[in-house]
Amino acid sequence: MSRKRAIILHTALIFSFVMVFLRLTDLMIFSHERLSERAKQQHIKIEDIQVRRGVILDRRGRELALNLELDSLYCDPASLSLDNEDVRKLASAVEKEPKAILSKIPNDGRFAWIERKLEPSAAERVKGLDIKGLGFLTEAKRYYPRGELASHVVGFVGIDNQALEGIELQYDTYLKTTGGKVFLGRDASGRTFSSGVDIEAKGNNIVLTVDEVLQRIVEKELDRAMQEWRAAAATAIMMDPFTGEILALANKPAYDLNKAGRAGDSERRNRAITDCYEPGSTFKIVIGAGALEEKITRPNTLFDVSKGGINAGGKTIRDVHKYGVLTFQEVIQKSSNVGSIMVGMRLGKERIYKYAKLLGIGDKTGIDLPGEVSGWIFPTERWSGTSIGAIPIGQEVAVTPLQILRAYSVIANGGFLVRPHVVSRIVAPDGRVLVSSGENEGRRVISAKTAGAFRDILKTVVEDGGTGQNASINGNEVAGKTGTAQMINPVTKRYSREKYVSSFVGFVPADNPRFSIIVVVYEPKGQIYGGVVAAPVFRNIADQALSYMDVPREDTPQRNPLLVRR
Amino acid sequence: MLRIDRRLIKNFDWVFLSVIVVISLAGIMTIYSATRPVVEEEHLLFYIKQSMWLILGLVALFLIVSFDYIWLSRFSLFLYTGGIVLLIAVFFLGRTGMGAQRWLSLGPLSFQPAEFFKLAYIIMLAQYLSMLKAPMDAVSLLRTFFFITLLPFLLLIKQPDLGTALIVLVIFIFLVLARGLHKKITILLIIIGIISLPFLGNIFWGGLKEYQKSRIVAFIEPDADPTGIGYHLSQSKITVGSGKFIGKGYMQGTQGPFRFLPEKHTDFIFAVFAEEWGFAGSALLLFLYLSLILRGLDTARLAKDDFGRLLALGITFMFLIYFCVNVGMTLGIMPVVGIPLPFMSYGGTALLSNLIAAGILINIRTRRFELFH
Repeated sequence: MSRKRAIILHTALIFSFVMVFLRLTDLMIFSHERLSERAKQQHIKIEDIQVRRGVILDRRGRELALNLELDSLYCDPASLSLDNEDVRKLASAVEKEPKAILSKIPNDGRFAWIERKLEPSAAERVKGLDIKGLGFLTEAKRYYPRGELASHVVGFVGIDNQALEGIELQYDTYLKTTGGKVFLGRDASGRTFSSGVDIEAKGNNIVLTVDEVLQRIVEKELDRAMQEWRAAAATAIMMDPFTGEILALANKPAYDLNKAGRAGDSERRNRAITDCYEPGSTFKIVIGAGALEEKITRPNTLFDVSKGGINAGGKTIRDVHKYGVLTFQEVIQKSSNVGSIMVGMRLGKERIYKYAKLLGIGDKTGIDLPGEVSGWIFPTERWSGTSIGAIPIGQEVAVTPLQILRAYSVIANGGFLVRPHVVSRIVAPDGRVLVSSGENEGRRVISAKTAGAFRDILKTVVEDGGTGQNASINGNEVAGKTGTAQMINPVTKRYSREKYVSSFVGFVPADNPRFSIIVVVYEPKGQIYGGVVAAPVFRNIADQALSYMDVPREDTPQRNPLLVRR
Repeated sequence: MLRIDRRLIKNFDWVFLSVIVVISLAGIMTIYSATRPVVEEEHLLFYIKQSMWLILGLVALFLIVSFDYIWLSRFSLFLYTGGIVLLIAVFFLGRTGMGAQRWLSLGPLSFQPAEFFKLAYIIMLAQYLSMLKAPMDAVSLLRTFFFITLLPFLLLIKQPDLGTALIVLVIFIFLVLARGLHKKITILLIIIGIISLPFLGNIFWGGLKEYQKSRIVAFIEPDADPTGIGYHLSQSKITVGSGKFIGKGYMQGTQGPFRFLPEKHTDFIFAVFAEEWGFAGSALLLFLYLSLILRGLDTARLAKDDFGRLLALGITFMFLIYFCVNVGMTLGIMPVVGIPLPFMSYGGTALLSNLIAAGILINIRTRRFELFH
């Protein structure tokens, strides 16, 4: 080989190596950012699959919401080839229409869901088809083992575990896994797999104040009342009056959390906190507590209600029964409207408003559930002439059942307004307690003396001569109040003659209450009075709850059934 | 015949051998990383197999060195004929793999006859050219082409093994030029080449299979269809580009194990290496290949006879072409042609034949002083 050819050869050689070297520099140094970004896009997939969402437990650790791991079917459109027969088989395997399957397969891209969270048997059938380009990814499906139980408290999540209702929504930031997102590695065929630690991230568990057994008792009794009175709806809340812990909260109609998508509006409404009603006589707590606190009346102060009616702003309000002269205690016991308005007039509208607000009327209770409304009571400057005859007896105001329960809990606990709550504590996966509802953070709103005096009055409501005798329980003293209110016809804006709201609110044992309960029955048929419709529901719930909670029964003489007044 | 004397050991080209062994070990490491199971159990057998082939190849290399390479010229016609027979045998007995009939089974082993044939071909060509008077005239040129090159070229095209076919053709051109042509013939050939280029191009294009055509289209316009045939190319560039200066670190590469990069442990192994070792590592590897080529050219310069010189050149050209086409393809400056990177890519037959070829080079250099034997 001549020298000249050797030089040409070596030049060409060096040239080609320099070319390669330059290209390498270009790709690895100058284009690095762009190319590595493309690499990342290819194999990092951010998927919100929430594999380990926190579980929801009742106060004794019973599971109310947990996760089932199910296979989700996806396809890689790039490597998928389906003939009509395959589509038909696939459709029958997942129990869908072939058209529905086809519509889920995009023309391009490398990942698309076909059917999420398949039943294990369906997943097996699809695996048996052995179609290339299909794959499975384990996803968690939220499962509510108790179905309908406590549905308005627990709430539910959607297919992507997006929080939609209840605790699931309210505490979503705690329940969902870190950041709510999981980083997945993804290979070229679209199979995803853990890219490291993130998929193991667990949500925090939530322990409720609700007790499953108490909840069950409440729901059973509500169902029975719904049936007995052919009511449109019913609500009951059971609360520890000292701490504000909700022991049970139920609305009927309710819905199965596992089929939440099919539930109607009425089923999903958490009436206990999202629906306002005119409370009627249960509202008399405002003038009662106010008059006692302001020393306007004593329990034995006399009121002459023998006229059977009272004029307020040109409108006459009447009692259901005619009475003679009643003590203040008897005004409440027999729920005399005339007597109550007399008390209210003595108290004056400013102080009525003041005590209503002190007892939490017209304000959100601050319960840790979504959708709570505040209700309303007008400030005094907006009162009409007839308001003084309406508000003392629970008209012209709108409250939620929970507000009334909280107001009566003030009497039960000796004068404190508590904040109701359903979450006891939030526990991190490693056992650390992140949030604890802690001790009673109640605020004193009336004196212990007033509370005690009004409690004694409330006890007489359940005794002979009271409107709430049906709420009395063997062996334990009950304090409570009945309420009966006409519903306002939304069309005519007038009080309806057919539709009533019957309620009973009370606590037991009266002198050392373990719980307070409100029962509200909407639109009962046949009977309208709270003492007839709601009081027995209260009694049944309270009776079973006392047994469940091992509350000692006092040896009080049994009430003679022959002495029961009509 | 078998002579291992002190001079042989003294003159042995340890430098060349070290470069080859280093590259081969880098190859095994990269194969191990590229085929590591990330998604599911993959054949970790790859790197074990390659290691075994390396040991076997090194034994073959030393065996080759122990014979004087002059024996190769004596057996050249026999080797060449045997190679042709194997290429033909592939059509009848061959196993089809990846769209091409390239494999022959030998008990549990299967190998690609083309890998051995190209060595036999280079030996035959070197032997034949060394007997011709230099510079060559037109008659000897045509004779060399028709007697030695055309048949295997057609056979390889038919397989189809476009990569090896082109290597056969290019080595023919390189060696003929190295041997020297009359100036007139050179000029004439260039003119004929230019005139017939569109015509030849048409025939060439028409003779290509669909996947081969689309590879060329993809090379010209890689982003036209990044999920289709341009996929290889753009994935390879992405993989290389992810490396940056010092790389992601050994076993930290993602594109290969995540299956984005196809043929990660065979044709595109350089990309996997570049992703993990970065620009610095890749530049070092380039330097190793460059020194390998330069050492080969130096061996040709030092060779004691024309046969040795042409043989050394032919083998060095082969390494050079393989290297340039493979790395060029990986870096997106050449169309995708399924050609492995010598000593690094997974593939037993290729590694064995490359080590034998290296053995021949060492043989030529080692015996540069031996005039008689």
